[in-house]
Amino acid sequence: MIKPHRWIIAGVMAAVWLVVPVSPVAAADVLTIGFTNSETGALNVDSIGQLNGFKLWRDQVNANGGVHAGSKSYQVNLVTYDDQSKPDRVQQLYGRLILQDNADFLFSPYSSGLTATAAIISEQYGKIMITTGASEDKTYQLGNKYLYEMYTPASAYLTGALDALKTVNPKARIAMAYADDAFAKAVATATRVYAKAIGMDLVFDEAYAPNTTDFGPLINKIISAKADALIGGGHYADGATLARQVYDHKAPLDFVSLLVAPDSPKFATLGEAATNVTAPSQWAPQATFKPDFGPDPKAFGDAYRTAYGSEPSYHAAGGYAAGLILQHAIEQAGTLDQDQVAAKLDQTNIEIFYGHVQFFTDPGRHGLQAGHSMVIVQWQKKGGQLVKEVIWPKAGATAPLAYPLR
Amino acid sequence: MSPKKPFFWVLVAVIAVFLVPVLTNNVSLRESLLLAAIYIILTSNLNLMIGFTGYVNFGNIVFFGLGGYIGLYLVTAGGLPLVAAAALAGAAVGAIALVLGLGILRLRGAYFALATIGIVEAIQAFVANFEPWGGATGLYLSFQAYQALGGPREALWTVYLLLVAVMGLSLFLCYAVKNSRFGLALFAIREDEDTAAVLGVRTPLYKATAYSLSGILPAMAGALFFFKQGVIQPEQAFDLTLSTEAIVMLMLGGQGTVTGAALGAFLYEQFRGILLTSTVFSSFQLVIAGALLLVTVLFMPGGLMGWLHRRWPRLRKVLE
Repeated sequence: MIKPHRWIIAGVMAAVWLVVPVSPVAAADVLTIGFTNSETGALNVDSIGQLNGFKLWRDQVNANGGVHAGSKSYQVNLVTYDDQSKPDRVQQLYGRLILQDNADFLFSPYSSGLTATAAIISEQYGKIMITTGASEDKTYQLGNKYLYEMYTPASAYLTGALDALKTVNPKARIAMAYADDAFAKAVATATRVYAKAIGMDLVFDEAYAPNTTDFGPLINKIISAKADALIGGGHYADGATLARQVYDHKAPLDFVSLLVAPDSPKFATLGEAATNVTAPSQWAPQATFKPDFGPDPKAFGDAYRTAYGSEPSYHAAGGYAAGLILQHAIEQAGTLDQDQVAAKLDQTNIEIFYGHVQFFTDPGRHGLQAGHSMVIVQWQKKGGQLVKEVIWPKAGATAPLAYPLR
Repeated sequence: MSPKKPFFWVLVAVIAVFLVPVLTNNVSLRESLLLAAIYIILTSNLNLMIGFTGYVNFGNIVFFGLGGYIGLYLVTAGGLPLVAAAALAGAAVGAIALVLGLGILRLRGAYFALATIGIVEAIQAFVANFEPWGGATGLYLSFQAYQALGGPREALWTVYLLLVAVMGLSLFLCYAVKNSRFGLALFAIREDEDTAAVLGVRTPLYKATAYSLSGILPAMAGALFFFKQGVIQPEQAFDLTLSTEAIVMLMLGGQGTVTGAALGAFLYEQFRGILLTSTVFSSFQLVIAGALLLVTVLFMPGGLMGWLHRRWPRLRKVLE
């Protein structure tokens, strides 16, 4: 019979074996990329697509022999922890990724707030961090040297919608109704300035609580302001509700462009209420970009559908593109040295499946995305079915803008 | 407090543990202990209200968040040194808490608890629309701000040491209140407020003072923590979950005891940290944490310190 204390020793050893992280890839010639992901908490749904994009890039790169730097090839190893969608542990976890997991490079968490917090650590240790899902302009105006943004900044989210509207109705009376949260307010602030700059008339400008479920009073105010175009929104729940109630109230609007919600495939379930509604998107599967490096949009979309059984969102495309841009810079530099790779990132000026990518390099906004443009998508009725078409910019459009709304 | 008091040595031991990362230059340990220090500050000060006065404050995070905003604003817009900004944040929040306390502490029980949640929501809504503080997008700290402390790497060590100092002050405050006439008055209020009033305790003033005191050091901690984070946004600064977690830590360690509050916060942080970074448990770390808390509340209603005191009564004199 085994003595009880031996059971205790065995139990402790088993617990240690379970708790100590085991790297799935051998230590030699491995490129470790660390990041936190919101596996729990409010940002969970938004960050899943991004994570899937990172993983798909890793799997494809490793299957093709890894990242080539000089005479060496590196297999990519992703190390990730749950940040719980909260900033409290982000610095602790990024410190751990650099010091204990020996991450060579970093990806950002999802959201601008968490990224700004993580950036303190990446800057402290001189580690390059490619950001995706972090579009707030302020994050890149703090004097960072190692932060590179994949997304078009928040300030440009609705500018394309105004440009598209101006081509069909330069005298449109625009109502802007947006969620009272950090992201939507940042977008609204920049849109207000842009509308004035291009001479568009903003006749209504109001924020609503992000958890609003009854938009009746707001829609009545928009109608009273005699607006014929609506821009704004926030995230999925409020945006979808706003679109449905605009339709239910028969608001006399000729153009509707909302943040985030209409970009989701789920938005089509609104039926008639979704018809001809537009949304800014970082990327759309129908995009026709001709890549200088990596897969074309169709190849990426097919691979994503095979791997995950669903349409890739722009979050997923952003995740994959982050890996691709890092890979390109490392292969150009021929080394993993941070400063040499950063120099190549500064020089990046290429087209990939995700669109054009280039970074500002002046100290006041170093790393801010300079090359990538939003596309504007629109749900159009084709043969009785709602289909998402790219309507802006015209160079990448798959269909002309359907105007007016009804 | 003299070295003859056992608590003096407890305090020395706690601070010595928190100085280990400095002596060993261990950044990972520093980050882990920094969060523990924050939790100890929040829990110890919450103890003044829940453990000593018997008023459940669900909104204690409001002090932390307001302190963070005031501190960061003074650093970014006012150009004040970090220590001065943190001290002013503590003073300002203490004054605000005193005024608020004189009003809401006329409520009791569930009404008071609800009012504290209302205060968090109201202040969060105000801050989200207050443009000098960045409105909904918050305040971002330029890297230039760290240069005054020798760059980001050195600044994080400085912030850590300052937080350890605030933690030491929090434990001392808890001990000092517990062993004072003021503390006795708070205990009287906790046991029977009406009787205490009849016996001459000026209950509104004492309660408001306790509420104000419980806000000063968390506000200073908020200023230091968000300086380290580099950004402060309304949802993060006024996170009700952290407020509730602080109550859980207090229950875990043992409300009304000084070392229990600290022990509960320390163990909770370490436990969550291990679960979060474990490849096996990270996916269901919240389930495990929840189950453990349930077991603690069911079988150790007095918390860890209550259990230790029952088992070894002499410990009461050492671990207050």
